Amino acid sequence: MNEDLEFGRDTRKLNTEVKGGSAMQVLEVENITKSFGGLKAVDNVSFHIDEGELVGIIGPNGAGKTTLFNLLSCFLSPDSGTIKFKGENIIGMAPHKVVNLGIARTFQVVRPFRHLPVIANVMVALKSPRGAKKIEWLKTMERKAADLLEDVGLSELMLEPAENVGHGDLKRLEIAKALATEPDVLLLDEPFGGLNPLEVDFLTKSILRMHLDEPRRSIIIVEHKLYALMKLVKEVKVLHRGKKIAEGTPEEIANNKKVVEVYMGGPIKHA
Amino acid sequence: MVRSYFRRAYSSFTAHVFDIPPRFMAFLFFLLLLTVPAMQLGSYVLRLLIMANIFAIFAVSWDLLVGRTGQISLGHALFFGIGGYTSGLLFQFFALPIWVTIPAAVAIGALAGFLIGFPCLRVKGPYLALITMAFPLILSNLVKWSPLEPIFGGELGFRSLPPFFPFLPFTQAIMAEYYLILLLLFVSSIVIYKIANSKTGIVFVSILDDEVASKACGINVTRYKIFAFTISSFFASLAGCLQAHILKLANPPMFSLDISFLPVILTFLGGIGTIYGPIVGSYIYVILDRYIMSILLPKAFESVGWTLPREFDFAKLLIFTLIVLVLIIKWPRGLARFATDELQNLEEARDLDERGPRIWKRYKKTKH
Repeated sequence: MNEDLEFGRDTRKLNTEVKGGSAMQVLEVENITKSFGGLKAVDNVSFHIDEGELVGIIGPNGAGKTTLFNLLSCFLSPDSGTIKFKGENIIGMAPHKVVNLGIARTFQVVRPFRHLPVIANVMVALKSPRGAKKIEWLKTMERKAADLLEDVGLSELMLEPAENVGHGDLKRLEIAKALATEPDVLLLDEPFGGLNPLEVDFLTKSILRMHLDEPRRSIIIVEHKLYALMKLVKEVKVLHRGKKIAEGTPEEIANNKKVVEVYMGGPIKHA
Repeated sequence: MVRSYFRRAYSSFTAHVFDIPPRFMAFLFFLLLLTVPAMQLGSYVLRLLIMANIFAIFAVSWDLLVGRTGQISLGHALFFGIGGYTSGLLFQFFALPIWVTIPAAVAIGALAGFLIGFPCLRVKGPYLALITMAFPLILSNLVKWSPLEPIFGGELGFRSLPPFFPFLPFTQAIMAEYYLILLLLFVSSIVIYKIANSKTGIVFVSILDDEVASKACGINVTRYKIFAFTISSFFASLAGCLQAHILKLANPPMFSLDISFLPVILTFLGGIGTIYGPIVGSYIYVILDRYIMSILLPKAFESVGWTLPREFDFAKLLIFTLIVLVLIIKWPRGLARFATDELQNLEEARDLDERGPRIWKRYKKTKH
């Protein structure tokens, strides 16, 4: 399968094939608003995510992308609006309960457990109720953690303390930690941030692979690096100053005047 | 049959103890401690070592809570005192034998840790340290309070608690107590070491490193913190009631700040977060404090013709504070960890099959 996933190929076709048309809404977000003092970080945003969808959320700095993620993973609760996961309202739930329901996230700034070896970092997530439940029969926690690390390409650093591991590898470790609970919705907060082009390529491939391996898992990616994201996802939502200003396929977004305006800081004058 | 069993035991010993230098050192240390009563050092030294073992249990329990889980407690005297006072109360009012009072005291201490866990979960870091520091001070004043004197015995506390071995003559009783407490130290430190290195222990360290990230991994942080508090208070109250029965005394100083800071000193001497460090630290502390500074130093002064001022007792804490301060700056990882790291380096140098002076080996090691 790896050979099929050559970078640069039109992978969006693969996504539709896997999805197979049947769509069930996993995450429904209705009119959520969150303000910090006078600043409306997220302003009346609604969208829904289908099962198995690979969605990107973009927007300039301070658009409220990370706040939106904090709301979805219940690290913050919104001032108004509803968030439903598989029909269940998750607002006000403890963050660890949401993870055990099936929404896992990564952090924009990596948060490894620095005193622990890399494999133990993953085992923390496997120790959670959902993580422990998802370990297959006749498989130890260590084996499963090693498999997860292999999926993201960290097998060689398995026993290295996380404090000795470089930033790019820690980004991948974050994803392995999030995947350990086998979430139904995976929220990736700037997975490509601070990575060099080679690492971006590798990570794109592994995200695609994990998408194909588990076709029912929805993945939401917040990203700044548009060139990587646009090739990866099927649908893009654009946030600006807390408001959702556009959504559509990457081509539509790229040609959307409003989006270009937001990114370039004004209408483009053709000479 | 028997031979194969011994062979298996021997091979597992080689694999788990003999081939790991720090563990082998610990094993030798334990063997040395086993032979101490045969050295005829006198009952005072045995008493000292008994106290060192009790302090070691106390400090190891603190290390699990603070060094591994990151919940800074400056009020471990609470559990120490609760252990001693429960033993005293049960003996005083129900005349229960020692084999009942100790488990009861330990159970009540663990319950106290469980309950203390709840209010302490809302705060973090230095605030948690301050809150935990307040609890033993409150209890210390409560047991000293005159209206409650018929129950808690006021300033004097409980006296003439039953000893462990009332049927043995004095010297043999001390020897038996020594072995009993050494066994308890061995068992409790192994239990704590096993917990700290289990998968639950991994979660403890994850809470120490990053609480938010462990929440994002689906860990119920609250539950694990309360668990850590409970285990820690279990062993701390064990240490408390052991001390009460050894000294045959449970009095308000068991709740004092000195006792609260004792595990801090011991753990920083040995190495925080190591579990074996506090044991080393408590031996260093007891030998320095109770032997060198209390016996050898006055004797040395006498031989010259001087006398130590009485205020020297108060200066001891100052001296230990200075030692800990120097240690934190010089070897922040503690003496025991420093020693094991050196051993590990030696081992690696030997693995590289180098001969010659050590600095050369180091140089070679960096080259590889």
